[in-house]
Amino acid sequence: MILSGFIILPLLYIVVSFFPLGLRARQWGAVAMTVMNLLLAVGLIAHIASTGMVKSEMGSWQAPYGIVMVADRLSALLLLITALLGTALSVYAIQSMDTERQEKGFYQFFAGILMGVNGSFIAGDLFNLYVWFEVMLMSSFILMSHGGGKVQLGGSIKYLILNLISSFFFVAGIGLLYGQTGTLNLAHLSRIIAEAAVLPSSFNAPLVLIAIAFAIKGALFPFFFWLPASYHTPPPAVTALFAGLLTKVGIYSLIRFHTLILRYDDAIWNDVMLWIGGLSMVIGVFTATSQYDFRKILSFHIISQVGYVVLALGFSTRAAMAGAIFFLGHNMIAKTGVFLVAGWVKKRKGTLDLRRLGELFSRNKWWSVMFLIPAFSLAGIPPLSGFVGKYAIIKSGIDAHHTTAALIALFVGVFTLFSMLKIWIEVFWKPMPTAIEPAIKGGEGLMLTGAALLALATIGMGVAGAPILDYCTEAANDLFNPNGYVEFVLGRGGV
Amino acid sequence: MELSIAIFIGILYACGVFLLLRRSIVKVILGVFVLSNATNLIIFLAGGVERGGIGFVNENGEPAAAMSDPLPQALVLTAIVIGLGIAAYILVLKYQYFKVTGTHDLDQLKNTEQK
Repeated sequence: MILSGFIILPLLYIVVSFFPLGLRARQWGAVAMTVMNLLLAVGLIAHIASTGMVKSEMGSWQAPYGIVMVADRLSALLLLITALLGTALSVYAIQSMDTERQEKGFYQFFAGILMGVNGSFIAGDLFNLYVWFEVMLMSSFILMSHGGGKVQLGGSIKYLILNLISSFFFVAGIGLLYGQTGTLNLAHLSRIIAEAAVLPSSFNAPLVLIAIAFAIKGALFPFFFWLPASYHTPPPAVTALFAGLLTKVGIYSLIRFHTLILRYDDAIWNDVMLWIGGLSMVIGVFTATSQYDFRKILSFHIISQVGYVVLALGFSTRAAMAGAIFFLGHNMIAKTGVFLVAGWVKKRKGTLDLRRLGELFSRNKWWSVMFLIPAFSLAGIPPLSGFVGKYAIIKSGIDAHHTTAALIALFVGVFTLFSMLKIWIEVFWKPMPTAIEPAIKGGEGLMLTGAALLALATIGMGVAGAPILDYCTEAANDLFNPNGYVEFVLGRGGV
Repeated sequence: MELSIAIFIGILYACGVFLLLRRSIVKVILGVFVLSNATNLIIFLAGGVERGGIGFVNENGEPAAAMSDPLPQALVLTAIVIGLGIAAYILVLKYQYFKVTGTHDLDQLKNTEQK
């Protein structure tokens, strides 16, 4: 039952906030909703740390015939981090978003994204995953174009069309897979494919289609073009929300799909993951170095950092998987953290062009710290969370004799540090080139609270690295034992 | 029956991709609609098409002589509804874009592109 809460809570908020309540009630209602979501996620993770998995069958129809929601350790961790980001962002948005957008439905669609992301993390079958993707995408389409001028609408059109194409890939793959197996339940699919000794070649088409769909959603090379073309256009709070959650859902789906289904075909898929991951890392980080816009640099870094996770997926060892899970969680927090600082700079100075900014350190010590912590965490400086994640991935890569790939990962880390230092020097350190008046006046205490929450989370994840990595290792063990998942969902008997 | 639907899906995909590659935003959007329907037909075809086959059992609980798999029909229904919502939204977005910029040309989108 606890799993339905993750859907019902945001849905309830959306319904209630259509009543004429006034802006203040809506804002603090959103904060209350996200805090409740956070408590629910903490409850779930405490429960799952002891029991391992939770499932919930809708209407008591048993899997694989009914709709089933499943959460294992991976889902629970990602749900917790999503809830944390939701809390930080709902607090941050109160002062960051302009009043007009807030009055015209920002919080409803914010809750819609939260609902879609939560649903994707606990979906137990492919078609439900598709439906949750659409819930998330519809809200994101609207937030992307919400109240926008020319640039924002242009970005929205590209974002929308490329994401729709990825949905078509996904649905076509689902159709072909259903035609051959007669089921869409992930556990049931996994059992059917495991029992087929040799995978017939007719399975290649749906598997490739679905993998491509996830790669587009996850902004992996060579499908990432929609991301840097659109992420710098909406208001900063929206970009922060997207950067933290949307691509990561694609990567989560890829992990789930890889460990349950593609693993039975791993002669090709591991190499594919290695290449896609490696190229995403390198190309993302290189293109970022040539950018001169705060948010564009960070957008290209999203591509680079999801590459790390996919690379670790390609190593295909338990240690690498644990590192990938840790890194995914770290990246969601730290990436959103730096985007929150970008939002503050935009509000204060009205621009995010690095060439026109400067000297923010001398007057805004707290915000500089809020930038430094997640930025260094992304670059992988100890004792922050990025170090633990990168260390785990690179070490497992060397242990698995993928030394070249591990060295590339190290090399990419240097360039990440370069980009972060570039932002630091240009925005916070160098003298102000021209005087710019503040764009919007108003308080920023709540914005700082949101950013501080995430900065503390990234420090906490780094300091408590060992126990969290242990948890991730257990999660990886679950993923590497798909029979456990299958038996938990379907029961021990044959279906 | 299945072969003719499969060929039809192929033609729809070809038309959709052709429209997607046009410069006019309206044509691109029409391409998206065509692709969306072609994809829905794939799911429909996946369950196997039976002439006169019904997707439910009769009042005595026995399956009919010609029975179709009801699940793909339910899935298609969901996909069509989602497609309809997206179609409505994308048309409004296009309208708004036209009001702001006064152009249908995709090349005008360049100014949001990364340099």
